[in-house]
Amino acid sequence: MTRYVLSRIGQSLLVLLLAYTVVFWGVSILPSDPATIFVAKGEGYFNPEVVEQVKQFYGYDKPLLAQYFGQLVQLASGNFGFSLSSGQAVTDRIADVVGETLKLAGTATVFAIVISVGIVLLATTSRFERLRKAVRNIPPLFSSVPTFWLGLVILQIFSVQLGLFSLFPDGSVASFVIPALVLAVPISAPIAQVLLKNAEATMRLPHVATARAKGGTPGWVIRKHVLKNAAGPALTVTATTVGALLGGSVVTETVFSRAGLGSVLMDAVATQDISLIQGLVLLTTVAIVAINLAVDLIYPILDPRVTRTQSKGFSTRLGRFQ
Amino acid sequence: MSRVKKLVAGLIAAGVLAGCSQGGQSASTGPSGEPQQGGTVVYSDVMYVTDALSGFYSTGNLFLQIVDRLVYTDPRNGEITPWLAESFSRNEDATVYTFTIRDGVTFSDGTPLTADIVKANLDQVGKGDPDKKIPAFTDFVGYDRSEVSGNTVTVYLSAPNTNFYRVVAGHRAGIRAASTLALDYEGQAKIENVVGSGAFVYESHVPDQKVVLTRRDDYAWPPAVSPNQGPAYLDKIEIRAIGEPGLRAGAVQSGQVDVARGIQPTDEAGLAAAGKQVIPVSAPLLTSNIAAVRIGNEDVSDVRVRRALQLGIDRDALVATVLSDSYRAADSVLNHDDPAFVDLGDKIEYNPDEAARLLDEAGWKVGPDGIREKDGRPLELSVSASVQSVVIKPAFEFIESQWRDLGIKLVNNAGDTTAYNIAVADPSKPLLGTRTYYNVGLALLFGRDKNTLTFAADDELIALSGQELSATDPQKRNDVLAQVQQQVVDKHLALVLWDEVQVHSASPDVHIEFTNLTEPLFQSAWKSSQAEG
Repeated sequence: MTRYVLSRIGQSLLVLLLAYTVVFWGVSILPSDPATIFVAKGEGYFNPEVVEQVKQFYGYDKPLLAQYFGQLVQLASGNFGFSLSSGQAVTDRIADVVGETLKLAGTATVFAIVISVGIVLLATTSRFERLRKAVRNIPPLFSSVPTFWLGLVILQIFSVQLGLFSLFPDGSVASFVIPALVLAVPISAPIAQVLLKNAEATMRLPHVATARAKGGTPGWVIRKHVLKNAAGPALTVTATTVGALLGGSVVTETVFSRAGLGSVLMDAVATQDISLIQGLVLLTTVAIVAINLAVDLIYPILDPRVTRTQSKGFSTRLGRFQ
Repeated sequence: MSRVKKLVAGLIAAGVLAGCSQGGQSASTGPSGEPQQGGTVVYSDVMYVTDALSGFYSTGNLFLQIVDRLVYTDPRNGEITPWLAESFSRNEDATVYTFTIRDGVTFSDGTPLTADIVKANLDQVGKGDPDKKIPAFTDFVGYDRSEVSGNTVTVYLSAPNTNFYRVVAGHRAGIRAASTLALDYEGQAKIENVVGSGAFVYESHVPDQKVVLTRRDDYAWPPAVSPNQGPAYLDKIEIRAIGEPGLRAGAVQSGQVDVARGIQPTDEAGLAAAGKQVIPVSAPLLTSNIAAVRIGNEDVSDVRVRRALQLGIDRDALVATVLSDSYRAADSVLNHDDPAFVDLGDKIEYNPDEAARLLDEAGWKVGPDGIREKDGRPLELSVSASVQSVVIKPAFEFIESQWRDLGIKLVNNAGDTTAYNIAVADPSKPLLGTRTYYNVGLALLFGRDKNTLTFAADDELIALSGQELSATDPQKRNDVLAQVQQQVVDKHLALVLWDEVQVHSASPDVHIEFTNLTEPLFQSAWKSSQAEG
């Protein structure tokens, strides 16, 4: 077990190094540079001498290879550098907003799981066939509703027209729950889809027939014998939605004027803020790697048939991020 | 993302227009009569300020409330008037400036304002401080040193600079307390660390969302021309960042914010009909909106092509079609209400026939697909422009369609921040949409070697710049600036578009004035208590 965890951590470090390398060279080959953008900030012109001065302050005057290794050493010692576009240390900039994004994304994930389980329960246990059929169509519908459209329609009707809640976060429950629900909609779609498919497949298995034969009610059978067995793949899908959450949060944050990592990342890219982009990418990579590692470790507990040796590497799932 | 933004704008605009049909009243202005005490004004800016030392409009809007400046430009007539400096003077060729510092002023941390603190501020901003990673501020052209004698500070410049008053009237020259100056760039950039002597003090902030300021009750040193000579009337200001223009309009419409900056032309009518104030605030200290031409770029190096580009733009139609009554077509690179403005509208009148003739003459013939070509190369130009203006994108879309009729293809990157950041420093990008302070001197802005508007030195402009920056007599200065404007327009170093204006919308119960940098002066603002918040 220890050896398995250690090798997974080693793989994770390799992924981080690759992410750093790709970001560093990707941003460096862009035609402009962060020091110029910093000096020209808000102005239509800049003084080239001042740009040189700023490059010296932050080491952007050194050869690229020296910068690459220099920053790598700094990163290893926990120094993420200075974000020129925001005038703050990268760690401060990220710390400013990461809580908001975690709250939003975490709540959205919980909502998404509740919605998914709700859909599955309705679709498998309802007495009305029409309702069961209708509910089955919800996941494809949810995955095709654009988040920004949904957010704007809700804002337009309930905030601007009816004045039921604020257009921007004002500390009220509604101004937090509604963006989380909007973000949960596209996240819940793949989870519900997979959970439903698996639940239906599981229901055809002999042990479910046995459970029914014992006289179990549909709800009891689902809860005790189906959901747990069907949860494995859904868990994997939930883990892969981390990327989608970050992407979705860009839109949700923009529409609901919220602070968060998504909008910070967008600004960082627009201003070629190398240090900030690196900090954000590394943070996201760590989050994705950690969640996938956690899922791999939980999997055998959920489904004893899956032994660690059979467990799939995270790289196969990595390709599924949207 | 831009599609998202368009949709946001469109949907909310539609909603605002739909909602306003119930109102049906004529546009109202703010309340008149005796100012009323108390209340909180919620002000929506277009972005959140993370760096107190940055030069955005939004930075000035926030820090005007917290940090006082040496002098104040009277928005009614552009005169330089006393603020922290109770009097000021300069020598004949504008190389020595003397400021007498007002007595009895304290910073919000209780420390007194002294001439020494003023000197420390000017030195740090003017020369930079490498140990603190603070670069020198570009606008402090030729700043050499400051000397203190009693309560006066004398500034010595290495070369004449008549614009120095304007520079110290701006946000970056605001006077901050010793505790702020002691910090490095990173420390000074944080809003909570900025200690000033302003009418409001920092209370709290939520990163990327809002900043709350409270009134300073013992404030007694406003700009000499402020209508309010005591502490602010308002108890608090809440500054919100709402990035989407349509949402800002929606927020004013629904009464969730009291004042918003950056209102789109498409939202103006709806807001006015709903009884909101629509306030166009002009910015005479900036150039008009222009497309600076990088004349080193092969396609636009021929002045005939540049002239054709200008004559191919119907500025009046642009204002009528995609802007609004709040806007005015520019007739020079300076705005109409700049005292140094000269009307060059005759030289750049819309004339598509002449434009076509000039392009033919320059060797650009109409190709099979309608786009002009020369030596097999199509006449394809790109433009990038700052996203700080809500109208820049539709305006260039309009120009794009006008130029298409002439056989010029415009690749419109207006509104794309990444493209703009690259274009600012790239001489090969032919057009840069902007409007900018000309504190460094209008002639140098367009003519200095390595200037970023044209990227080309212009000897005639450099010669004029000496006169421009040393002319302390207003008439002489205006005469020189007239020549500079003529040079820039005759050589088509910039395409003249529309006057700079920042359109605000406000609730009818808020009385508010703006500086001529379009900053809201909340020190004199008040809110009528009759109407509900």
